[in-house]
Amino acid sequence: MSKSRVSSSLSRRKFIQYGSLAAGTTVLAACAGGSSPDTSSEGGESSSDAGGEAIKVGVMYSTTGTIAIVEKSLQDATFLAIEQINTGTGPWEANGAGIAGKMIEKVVVNPDSNWDLYNQMSKRLITEDGVVCVLGCYTSASRKSVLPVFEEEDSILYYPVYYEGNECSSNVFYTGAAPNQQITDSIPYCYENFGPKGFFIGSDYIYPKESNRIGKAELEKAGGTVVGDEYAALGTTEFITIINKIKAASPDFVLSNLVGDSIPAFYRQFKDAGISAEDIPIMAYPTTEEEIQAMGPEYSAGHYTSFNYFQSVDTPENTAFVAQFKEMFGDDRVTNGVMEAAYLQTFFMAQAMKDILEAGDEINTETLREATRGQEFNAPQGRVKIDPDNYHTYLYSRIGKWQEDGQAEIVFATDAAVKPIPWSQTLYPGRKCVHPAPDDRSDPTQETGEDLVPEFL
Amino acid sequence: MLDLALPSMLSPLYLLAQEEATGGFQLSTILNQALNGLGIVGILLLTGLGLSITFGVMRIINLAHGEFIMLGAYITFLMQDVFKMDLLLTIPFAFLGTAIIGAVVELTIIRRLYGRPLETLLATWGLSIVLQGVIKLIFTAQLKYVKSPAYLSGNVTFMSDPSGSPLVAISYYRLFIIGVALALLGVTMYLFYGTSWGRQIRAVTQNRSMAQCLGVNTKLVDMGTFAYGCGLAGVAGAVISALKTVAPPMGQDYLVDAWMVVVTGGVDKLIGILAGSFLIGESNAILAFILNDPTARVLVLGAVIILIRYRPEGLFTVQKRT
Repeated sequence: MSKSRVSSSLSRRKFIQYGSLAAGTTVLAACAGGSSPDTSSEGGESSSDAGGEAIKVGVMYSTTGTIAIVEKSLQDATFLAIEQINTGTGPWEANGAGIAGKMIEKVVVNPDSNWDLYNQMSKRLITEDGVVCVLGCYTSASRKSVLPVFEEEDSILYYPVYYEGNECSSNVFYTGAAPNQQITDSIPYCYENFGPKGFFIGSDYIYPKESNRIGKAELEKAGGTVVGDEYAALGTTEFITIINKIKAASPDFVLSNLVGDSIPAFYRQFKDAGISAEDIPIMAYPTTEEEIQAMGPEYSAGHYTSFNYFQSVDTPENTAFVAQFKEMFGDDRVTNGVMEAAYLQTFFMAQAMKDILEAGDEINTETLREATRGQEFNAPQGRVKIDPDNYHTYLYSRIGKWQEDGQAEIVFATDAAVKPIPWSQTLYPGRKCVHPAPDDRSDPTQETGEDLVPEFL
Repeated sequence: MLDLALPSMLSPLYLLAQEEATGGFQLSTILNQALNGLGIVGILLLTGLGLSITFGVMRIINLAHGEFIMLGAYITFLMQDVFKMDLLLTIPFAFLGTAIIGAVVELTIIRRLYGRPLETLLATWGLSIVLQGVIKLIFTAQLKYVKSPAYLSGNVTFMSDPSGSPLVAISYYRLFIIGVALALLGVTMYLFYGTSWGRQIRAVTQNRSMAQCLGVNTKLVDMGTFAYGCGLAGVAGAVISALKTVAPPMGQDYLVDAWMVVVTGGVDKLIGILAGSFLIGESNAILAFILNDPTARVLVLGAVIILIRYRPEGLFTVQKRT
């Protein structure tokens, strides 16, 4: 009796020990790159039940780790677009269900906010899963990590994020803002409306540093001075030192390129330290509706963000987009500029695929690349177009002032979408990017040596 | 709000600052930074206190400590979201909630691993990943909003420049955090050194079998102590949630800091944690001000490693006879 009791308690003890060890090591293995593409659970419901075989598309966003907060919402927006394309609803209503009768089958992977995993997983998506293109990535670090894979395997990445520019690949379509669509309007705006002294802050990685480098050059060109330049490690939530340095430098405005979970902490501590938005306004690029909701609108009211899209943009396409998004993911969710780019780039891809199939061709990298060039779409932010020369996107440039309700009042907007200039003209005057047609993947950079004037769609 | 201007009290310093300001070097900004370093000290003390119980007293290498802080923050979020509670009222719930979860964890996992630190390390690491995953499944990965009480907004100003804008000031909320941290430290020290429960805990950690022979229910003491440590982490989560960001991975940020504080201060005496957090917080604040944030972190971490090399027991240790 007592013996059996002892042995059973021993085995249970063993079970729990080994069980918990096993749990730890399995997760470890997953972190180290063992997790498999999640086609069954998430892609299953939308896969090939209609006529014709499905078109395989990779969706690569982290749903775990520090960047998951943003990338999950990009994935949501992408899923909404694919759902609308496969069911023939929303902006795809006129085209019927699917792409010329074929459904999109999404192959979903989760790189766990680990830059190396993006590289491995994109390779697997292309070579093993045989996807025709990939929608994904958020940080510049992850884009730089996958770029060699897409160039080596000659596949296509649709990248939905505003970024620092200075890149022009034949294998990437950039549907977020180039520097001239975000930085070159907002810095002169700050200079004229707030004053000449700018304090630059950011998270410590490639995008904020490059973006601030361009911003600082723009400010000096406008006649202002840079009174500070500070970076905090990714994920930092303690900003008292940076805030004290801002106080000591007493700038006219702060330009923030902090990303992710640092954003709410910074705005809260900024206000908590007794600095009001009237004294020192913050102009930010990565601060969107999503982060405002997380920090509480009372902390952001009066500060500014420069972006192509705000949830408050007044177009019928945007009203529909916001309503459909809330219907699919819940009433408490907000939309933001990065999500809108993730949403619109899926339609660029679908339109290009539709053109290829209607012309009787096969979808592969060459046909998809040529068909995507010059695509136009009525996006929530307005009419946008992929530039046929540099593969970036004509986008609107807007500046929003945050209100007490967490929405932006748009205080500056261009009348039409602005032509993208991938290279910062302050740092590389006259450098242009023109891919030949058809694209033979040769070096697209051209030194024109002249001032590039802003062009509109 | 309430501006307690005290220039008269600090007039020599104030004049000095005035003089220095013209020379380019501002004493007031350094003073301000040192004062606000206390804000960092408060957070370090608060987040490290729970660990000083689970590691310092019980010798459990608890890598899930950060997740208990995260759980406390989410309990606060939940209480505010559902019952519209004031932040201060949610603190007891955060304490109880995390303490109960801690007790369950002790009962199911930790209890079976006493005396085997490596397995404990792996198990608690696995636990931290599981807890993050569970929270993400329930609340999604989105950042969460915790409302800070309006009566704790504003600053205490110690020095102002002639135009009235504050030079040396600290916010009420940072003071509140320091207050909570010191109060919890006081309560914990009383519990450990002034009550019979504390005597039992110390007896169990010093000589388990002897304590058992003398009729101490060691299992109950273990569970209670671990739960108390987790509860303290929960309070830390609740209090810092209004100043920082609430998200599933947030605990990772505090885990390293909490470990540095506990290891630096020494694990034998609870007061060591006060010294540890003061040293690390202030040196971080001053170095970050002179250099920059990432460099300061590297330097402080390096200094802690060197310290451990020469004083592996930390700064405050009890001399033991061998």
